[in-house]
Amino acid sequence: MSKPPPAEAASARALLSATARQGRSRLARPILLGLASIACGLAQAWFIAHLLAALLGHGSAGWSEFFAAASLALLSIALGVAQERAQAAAGAAARADLRRRAFDRLLEAGPADDRPVGERSGLVVDRIEALDGYFSRWLPAAVLAAAGPLLIACVVAFEDPLSGLILFVAGAMVPVGMAVTGIGAALASRQQFDALQALSGRFLDRMRGLPQLVLFRRQEAEAQALGQAADELRRRTMKVLRVAFLSGLTLEVIAAAVLGCLAWRHGNLLVGGHPDPAAALFCLLMVPGFFAPLRAFSAAYHERMAANGAAAALAPLLAAPDSEPGLQLAEIPPTVVVTFEQVGLTYDPARGPALTDLSFRVMPGEALVLAGPSGSGKSSVLRLLMGFCRPDGGRIALNGRDATALRPEELRRLSSYVGQKAHLFRDSIRANIAMARPEASEAEIEAAARAAHVTDFASSLPEGLDTMIGEGGLGLSGGQAQRVAIARAFLRNRPLVLLDEPTAHLDPATEGELLDSLRRLCAGRTAIIATHSSALRARFGRVLELEKGRAGLPRMAGE
Amino acid sequence: MMLTDLTRVLGLWRARSTWLWSGAIVAVLATLAGVALLALAGRGVSEGLRTGALTGIAVGSLLLLRPLIFVRPASRYLERLVTHSATFRALADTRIWFFRRLAERLPGGIGHRGAGDLLGRLVADVEALDGLYLRALVPGVAALAVVVAVAVLLGFAGPGIAVLVALPLALALLLPPLLAPGAARAAGEVAEAQGALRRAAVDPLLGLEDVLAANAEPRAAARLAESGATLAETQKRLARRAAWGGAAGSLLAQSALFAALGYGLAGGPGAVGGTIIGLFLALAAGEALAGLPRAGAALAAAGASARRLFDAADTPPPVAEPTTPAEAPRGHALRAEGVRFAWAADREPVFTELNFDLPEGGRLALLGPSGAGKSTLAALLLKLAAPQEGRLLLGGVDIAELPADAVRARIACLTQDARLFDDSIAANLRLAAPEADDAALWQALDRAGVADVVRVLPEGLATRCGEGGARFSGGQGRRLALARALLAPADILILDEPGAGLDPEAERAFLETLETATAGRSVILIAHRLLGVERPTRILRLIGGRAMAAMG
Repeated sequence: MSKPPPAEAASARALLSATARQGRSRLARPILLGLASIACGLAQAWFIAHLLAALLGHGSAGWSEFFAAASLALLSIALGVAQERAQAAAGAAARADLRRRAFDRLLEAGPADDRPVGERSGLVVDRIEALDGYFSRWLPAAVLAAAGPLLIACVVAFEDPLSGLILFVAGAMVPVGMAVTGIGAALASRQQFDALQALSGRFLDRMRGLPQLVLFRRQEAEAQALGQAADELRRRTMKVLRVAFLSGLTLEVIAAAVLGCLAWRHGNLLVGGHPDPAAALFCLLMVPGFFAPLRAFSAAYHERMAANGAAAALAPLLAAPDSEPGLQLAEIPPTVVVTFEQVGLTYDPARGPALTDLSFRVMPGEALVLAGPSGSGKSSVLRLLMGFCRPDGGRIALNGRDATALRPEELRRLSSYVGQKAHLFRDSIRANIAMARPEASEAEIEAAARAAHVTDFASSLPEGLDTMIGEGGLGLSGGQAQRVAIARAFLRNRPLVLLDEPTAHLDPATEGELLDSLRRLCAGRTAIIATHSSALRARFGRVLELEKGRAGLPRMAGE
Repeated sequence: MMLTDLTRVLGLWRARSTWLWSGAIVAVLATLAGVALLALAGRGVSEGLRTGALTGIAVGSLLLLRPLIFVRPASRYLERLVTHSATFRALADTRIWFFRRLAERLPGGIGHRGAGDLLGRLVADVEALDGLYLRALVPGVAALAVVVAVAVLLGFAGPGIAVLVALPLALALLLPPLLAPGAARAAGEVAEAQGALRRAAVDPLLGLEDVLAANAEPRAAARLAESGATLAETQKRLARRAAWGGAAGSLLAQSALFAALGYGLAGGPGAVGGTIIGLFLALAAGEALAGLPRAGAALAAAGASARRLFDAADTPPPVAEPTTPAEAPRGHALRAEGVRFAWAADREPVFTELNFDLPEGGRLALLGPSGAGKSTLAALLLKLAAPQEGRLLLGGVDIAELPADAVRARIACLTQDARLFDDSIAANLRLAAPEADDAALWQALDRAGVADVVRVLPEGLATRCGEGGARFSGGQGRRLALARALLAPADILILDEPGAGLDPEAERAFLETLETATAGRSVILIAHRLLGVERPTRILRLIGGRAMAAMG
C-alpha cells in the first residue's frame, strides 16, 4: 500500500479545516438539534423504564407516564427532521465556494494543463461533490458521536454507576478501534479514488472516439478491456472496504459486548434482589440510543475518507500560488505593432525547443504568413501571443512594451483568434458566434455571420442561426464549423488578428469565398496567419518560413 | 415504469445471482442476530426482575445471549463484504453491457448527447444502481425477515400483542415503495442538475482555447456557479423528503413500542410476559428497520438512473442488422445504384441519384465542395447510415444484407475527425490491426510520412498520444491517424481528406506514393481538389446529389 506524501495529506486536511472554519455557524445548528434529540430520547427511556418496572411489580406508574413518553417520542422525531434539514444546508455554501475557486484555477491554467478533460471536469464536479459528506454528515456526526454517548453515559451513571462506567469505557474504545482500523482505510481510499478517476478519464476518451473503435471493429476488445479496468477497480475497492469495514466490526463487537456486560451486571444484582429495577431497565433501554450516534459516525467515517481523497486531489490546484498579478490594459489600443526579438520557447526539454531565436516585426495593416512543415513552430507563435504559454528567452513587444508584463487574459483582449480545431459549444449558432463579444447587437452578429459565410448554410437550416449545434458541432461539416469560428473573429473586432490554419478544412471554392472576407478582417489590423495554404500565401504578401522553430529567409510570395 | 426498469436491471445481473443471494442471506442472519441480542438481554433481566431471582426464563435468555455476542459482529462484517463484492460484480457487468449497447446503437458518435453528459451517465448512473441492491433489496429482505420473526415469536405470547406490535412494523415495510415515486422525482431533478453541472464544466474545458480567446472565462464560471446552485437546490429538496421519510419510519417503530406498553398497561398482570418480549422486540426491530425509509430513496435513485441508462441504450440502431445475413462476397468491387439519402426527413437530401462503379484495385477520387456529402458516402458505405432508396453493392452483394461487422472488415476509413486515443502510438495503430508487429507499424508510419517524427521521440512507439492526440501537432496527429488507416487489413480504403492539416509538400509527397502506400487495394479518395499526382483511375464530382464523371 503506497502512502500518500505527508505534505499532500496535510494540505488536504488544511483545506478541509479552513473551509469548515468559514462555515462554523451553519455547521453548529445540526449539532445542537441532534443533542436536543438525544436529550429527548433519554427522558423518554426514563419514563418507559419506570412504566415497565411498575408492570413488573416495582413502583407505580401509569397512563400519564405513557403519554409523557409518547409526547417526548414525537418531539424527538421532529427534532430529527429539523437536524437533517440543517445538515443538508451546511455543506452547500462550502461546496459552491470551492467549486468556483477550482474552476477559476483550471481556466487560468488554460491549455498548459494537459490532463484529460474528464479528469479536470471530475475535479470540479465529482471531487467537490465528494466533499459534501464531510460537511453535511461527517462533521456533525463526529461531534455528536463524542457528545451524545458522553451525555448518555453520565445520565446512566447517575442511575447506576457501574453501568455508566461500562458505557463510558465502551464509548472510549470506539474511536480508538476506529482510529486503528481507519488509518489503513484512509490510505486505501485514495487509491480507490485514483482508480475511479482513471476509469472516468478512460471512458470519456473512448466514448469520444467511439466511431473509431466501431470502424476498426475494436468495440468488443475495448469492452473487455473496460471489464478488466472495472475488475481492477473492484479489487482495489474491496481492499479498501475490507479495512474500512473493520471499523464497523469494532463497533459491532463493542455494542454486543456492552449488552452482554449490562445483562451480566444486572443479572448478578438480581441474586440479592435488585436495588433499583427501573434503573436496570433504563440502562438496557438506552443501549440502542447510546450506539446510534456512534453508528452514524461510523457510517459517515467513509465520507471523511472520501473527502480526504478528494481534498488531496483538489489541494494542489487550490493551493497553487496566485499567478503573478501582471498589468491590466487601460483600454484597447486602436493599432498594435508586434515585435519578436530572439524569442525562444521549449514545452518539453525531451522534445527539443519549439522556437529558437525567432525575430520579426508586424506593423498595423500588415499580414504576416507563417509557413513551414507541421511541427515547425507556427502555432507556437500564436500561442505565445494568446498568453497560453510564456517565452523562455527573448522579448515579445506590443507597441514597444513587453507583452509578458500583461496578464494573459488582458493580452487576449487585444486579439481575435481562430485555432486549429475550433470548438463549437452546445448552443445555437447565434450564441456560438456571440460568445466572442457578448455585448454585440443582433445586427452585428448577423453581419459577422454574413462576412464569414455562415449565413450561406444557416439559411437552409430549419431554424437558421438559432439552430442548436452539439458538442463538436453535430450537423455541421468541418468547413461549416470553421466558418462559425471565423465569424467569431469578425464579431470580436480587435486590432490583432491571429489565424491558425483558418482554411485547412475548406475546399478551394469555399476558401476562395473566404479569402476576401479574411482580407477584410485583416485590413487595417495587425495579422499573423499560420497556414499551409498556397492561396492564402498568395493573397497575403509577407511570408516567414519556419524550420524547426527557426526563421528561414523572409521572402515575398512567388519568389 | 420504474418497476419494469428495475426488473430489467435485475435481469442484467442474473449471472451474479449466487453472489447476490448469498449477500441477502447473510444480511438476514446478521439482522436477526442483532434483534435476538437485545430482545434476549431485555427479556432475561425483566423476567429476573419479575420473579426476583435468576431462574427459568431469565437464565435461559442470558445463556442464549453468549454465542450471539460473537455471531452478530461476525455475520455483520461478512454481510457487508459479501454484499459489496456482489454489487461491484453486478455493476461491472452493467457498465460493459452499456458500452456494448452504445457501440451498437450510437456507432457514429454521441453528438447532441455530449460526451461530458454521457460520461456522467455511465459512471454515476451505473454506480447509483448499487443502491438498488445494497440500500433497497438487502435491507428490505432483512426487514421482512425481522417482521416475520417478530410476528411468529409474539404469536406464542398471544395474538393480540402480535398484531399490535407487528402491524406498525409491517407498515414500515411498505414505506420504500410508498416513498419511492416522490423521491424518484426529486432524485431525477438532482441527476438532471448534476448532468447540467457536468456539461457546464466539460464544455468550456473542451473548448478551452476558444473560451480564453473570447475572454469568456467569467461567463463560463458564472454558468458553472449557476448550475451548482441549481444542483444544491435540488439536493435540498431531496434531503427534505428523506428527512420526512425517516420521520415516518421512526413514528411506526415508536408506535410498535408504545403499542406493547399500552397492551401491558391495559391488560393487567396476565399481559406482562407478552409486554416484556414485545417491548424489547419492538425496540430491536426499530433499530433493524431504521434503514427502510432510506431504501425508498435508494429505490427511486436506482429507478431514475436505470431509466436514463436505458434511454440512451435503447436508441434504435441507425442501421438494422439483416435478419438473415447474406454470405460475405469474395470480391470487393463497389457499386452504387440510384442511392438517395437525407440525414433527416426535414433536411435537404445529400444524394438524390448516386451511381458509380469501383472495380477491385481501382482508385476513385470523389471531389466536391464542403457540405456536398462526400463524407456522407463514407458513412453509408460503413453502415453508419442506410440509404432511403437504391443499393450499395460490395462484391455484388447489397451491403444491407451483410452484417455491419463484415462490411467494416472489408472497408477501412480515415475519417475527417479520426481521433487518437490517450494511449501509446503503438496501441493507437494496433486498433486497426491488433496482431501487427512493430515492423508493420513502422512501415505504416513510413507510408504516412510520420516515421521520422516518431523515431526521434525518446519513447518511440510507446509515446503516449494524449487525449485526442493533444501531444502532437494537428498535422502529425493527422498522419498518425493516416498510418492507422493504412495498417488496417481491409480490401477497400476510404481516405477522407487525407491531406487536411498537412503542409503542401507533405500532402503532395503522400499522394504521390498513394499507389504503393495502399498496396493494390481499392481506394476512395475524398478531397475537394486534386493536386495532379494522385493518378486515380476514375474521378467523380458530386454536384447536387449526383456524381458526375469528371476529367482529371
